[in-house]
Amino acid sequence: MSSKLSRRDFFKASGILAAGMALAACQPSLAEAEPAYPTLAPDPGSASPPLTDEALLLHTLKRISFGVTPAMLARARSIGLDAYIEEQLFPENHDNSEVENLLSNLKTLTMTAKERLDLEKDAQSIQELIGATLLQQWKSPSQLYEVMVDFWTNHFNIYIVKNQCRVLKTDDDQAVIRPYALGKFGELLSASAHSPAMLVYLDQATSTRRAPNENYARELLELHTVGVDGGYSHEDVVELARTLTGWSVTGFRDRNQEPGQFSFRRQAHDDGQKQVLGTVVPAGGGIEDGEIILDMLAQHPMTARFISTKLARRFVADDPPASLIEKLSQVFLSTAGDTREMLRTLLHSDEFKASAGQKMKRPLEFFISALRVTDAKIQRTPRALTTYLRQMGQMPFFWSPPTGYPDYAAWWATTSGMLNRWNFALLLTAGEVPGVAINLSTLTADAASAQDLVDLLSIRFLSKKLPSDARDILIDFASTGSLDKNLPDIAGLILGSPHFQVR
Amino acid sequence: MTTKLSRRDFLKLSATLGGFALTPSWMPRMSFAPQGVEPAGDILVVVFLRGAMDGLNAVIPHAESRYYELRPTLAIPEPQTGNDQSAIDLDGFFSLHPSLRPLKDLWDESALAIIHAVGSPDSTHSHFDAQDYMERGTPGEKNLTTGWIGRHLQSAPWLNESPFRAIGMGGIMQASLRGPIPVTTLTSIEDFHLQGRTNNLAQLQQNMASLYSLGSNFDSIAAETFSAMNALSQIDTSTYTPEGEATYPETDFGMALQQVAQIAKAEIGMEVASIDIGGWDTHNQQGVLDGTMPALLSGLASAISAFYRDLGERAKRVTLITMSEFGRRTYENGSGGTDHGHGNLMFILGGNVNGGKVYGEWPGLSAENLYGPGDLAVTTDFRDVLSEVLLKRLANPNQQNVFPNYANWKDLGILKNG
Repeated sequence: MSSKLSRRDFFKASGILAAGMALAACQPSLAEAEPAYPTLAPDPGSASPPLTDEALLLHTLKRISFGVTPAMLARARSIGLDAYIEEQLFPENHDNSEVENLLSNLKTLTMTAKERLDLEKDAQSIQELIGATLLQQWKSPSQLYEVMVDFWTNHFNIYIVKNQCRVLKTDDDQAVIRPYALGKFGELLSASAHSPAMLVYLDQATSTRRAPNENYARELLELHTVGVDGGYSHEDVVELARTLTGWSVTGFRDRNQEPGQFSFRRQAHDDGQKQVLGTVVPAGGGIEDGEIILDMLAQHPMTARFISTKLARRFVADDPPASLIEKLSQVFLSTAGDTREMLRTLLHSDEFKASAGQKMKRPLEFFISALRVTDAKIQRTPRALTTYLRQMGQMPFFWSPPTGYPDYAAWWATTSGMLNRWNFALLLTAGEVPGVAINLSTLTADAASAQDLVDLLSIRFLSKKLPSDARDILIDFASTGSLDKNLPDIAGLILGSPHFQVR
Repeated sequence: MTTKLSRRDFLKLSATLGGFALTPSWMPRMSFAPQGVEPAGDILVVVFLRGAMDGLNAVIPHAESRYYELRPTLAIPEPQTGNDQSAIDLDGFFSLHPSLRPLKDLWDESALAIIHAVGSPDSTHSHFDAQDYMERGTPGEKNLTTGWIGRHLQSAPWLNESPFRAIGMGGIMQASLRGPIPVTTLTSIEDFHLQGRTNNLAQLQQNMASLYSLGSNFDSIAAETFSAMNALSQIDTSTYTPEGEATYPETDFGMALQQVAQIAKAEIGMEVASIDIGGWDTHNQQGVLDGTMPALLSGLASAISAFYRDLGERAKRVTLITMSEFGRRTYENGSGGTDHGHGNLMFILGGNVNGGKVYGEWPGLSAENLYGPGDLAVTTDFRDVLSEVLLKRLANPNQQNVFPNYANWKDLGILKNG
């Protein structure tokens, strides 16, 4: 009970509730040891290590994808888990033609920023980029790659609604996040620092030597590299802001050059000597000033630790083991931040193998996995679908602060969060989500009994049968009328069940 | 919590029995409360202005000429009788931004007080750190995960098992609410029910509840959800007419406040509601009389004014406060905006506010009085204001549980007792 996800239980366990119940007599101390996040208990079905080969395979596929489909499962079983991980680490070898075909309908993906801005419909670029993102998460064979695209999209969060980010974020997605999602951190960081969308989002584009703007400089330290505990001072932020003055974006009214591109404005740059985190930038370096500091930050041990912690939180547990963070930091430092190498180490680590059941799907992962396991077909543009994601609070590119969407269960396990999941599950299986068609009867064509129906759906949605207690509840329900009539509700209940909320 | 059946135990039991048709355990109100001990205090509404509101352009120190020197293009014109494009004088020294006009009547009725140059003693310019510190109520300390409101509810000397004890509007749980007391997050009252094939919802709900009674990590939050659904189903939003001829603006914030008023009137055990308004991080083209920030101010003022009118007599048992993580730089930047600063202001509204007054010590804007890179100094710790709210309006004497290591708080006399 002590490690289950109930806030009350959690605090009870850590002694704080007891302290609170003592009321005025108690003087709480700030030094009370609390983990940063309440963590989920290991999954009772599969957590007693070591996992069987099949359980480990399923655990891994759940963590490296937006939902386990029969095709994935078959492929991984046939070539073996290690080979499957290797295959997922090299998306360039995958046949992505189905997705590319779907994306070809989204015209703004191939436009220039200027062309997007000139469109009559202002929001078209936003809608199409969201659509493209969801389609790729849903349909792409490169699932681990898409998970990492989402990871870095949140790490280098850009709120798409802010000013010209609505037309520039598409370029950021294509030129920053996707090319380097499995690459070297330093290259990704550099690409992001030259990304017009980022420079607009964090107000860097308007920062000049006469009026430096500290916003980007601060987040570059706090959220992109060394982290809030990275040992920098306000002076470092000010010096970094000076270092980056002149890093800007070509204007949309400028007729002499292609608008919406990175531009270094020499006359706006502070060319004096600067010092950031002990690194001295000599006077007169121009754009090189910023490059020196970006290189330093990309290799900084605190950056290694910060990125490793986030990666471990993403793939292993909300409060990830220190031993794994240490291991990943070492890989980061010895490989110049090679994401592929870090993932290889992570996915083969004992800490990863012991973490089954310890991550709750966030709304986006819940949503996409429901579409994947039901083999949903899109009838219209996926735009109608995004209403549901918005309600669940995790529409891509719609998180306004630069932190990115939270990656721990306590944030998402709320009353309305649960209700929104149940409703999406029940509406989807009832065929009442606009623009989406699913054909449940093809999934259960062989079902001759209530038991068959429940088992076929469970194997399809969860890749295994439900535990007997949950299975019995659904069999009882399925037996109350005709199987056909109950099919959508049984399917919706499985997607809404606790078993489908775990990643 | 000794021999009593906890609400969760009750829900688990009723789920097992398929008993969600039963009246929730906490209705009628406080059925489980110790005899004679009910929530004694006001309903608290906390409005968090995320991104750091520019307090100097909201409540303007127009009598200090330095303000106009620091903000050559952004200053709000000083009060001028008959000119609605100028600041609205409050006391000869401070004035309201013209977009805050609805607050002037509340000020005149003594329902509204302002604390200026208030904030956190921590010097951070990070939104995220500053919001965290403020919502935890522990500036500079990161090792306490509970929020100040969470600790208030936890340490209050009464028991209230309602799932609406604390409500996070906008569908999110603000960090201030974190703690052992469950929070219901709400986007709207009318949407809070199970959907799907409508002929079968009761059976679906019962089966879903059963699936969440088998010992999973999510059983407790699911039980809270079912309980909340039952209660909200009894509030009719379609025919709601605000009292006092109040008109809420049709903004997210306006609609959220209207629903808070409805929940308050439904008497289902709400003690705290928390609401966010984002968009205050005005580094760029923030606007003087029109534009981004004036629009935000206008939305804020018209909504809280409507809320106060709508509450009528109930306003005597409601206290609304606004908070923002820090203020903005005293001088404008080169982009028509303002960078992150330090001191800011808080509004306090309610039937027991000693209103019509700006509280706090004004530190002044001359260079030697500024803080850090050119920020308004903080002369009132935000915990002074919150401690006063806690003791005088929320009837919770356990100030030291809520604000550890801050026993020597300063009573500014903003609020009436009990």
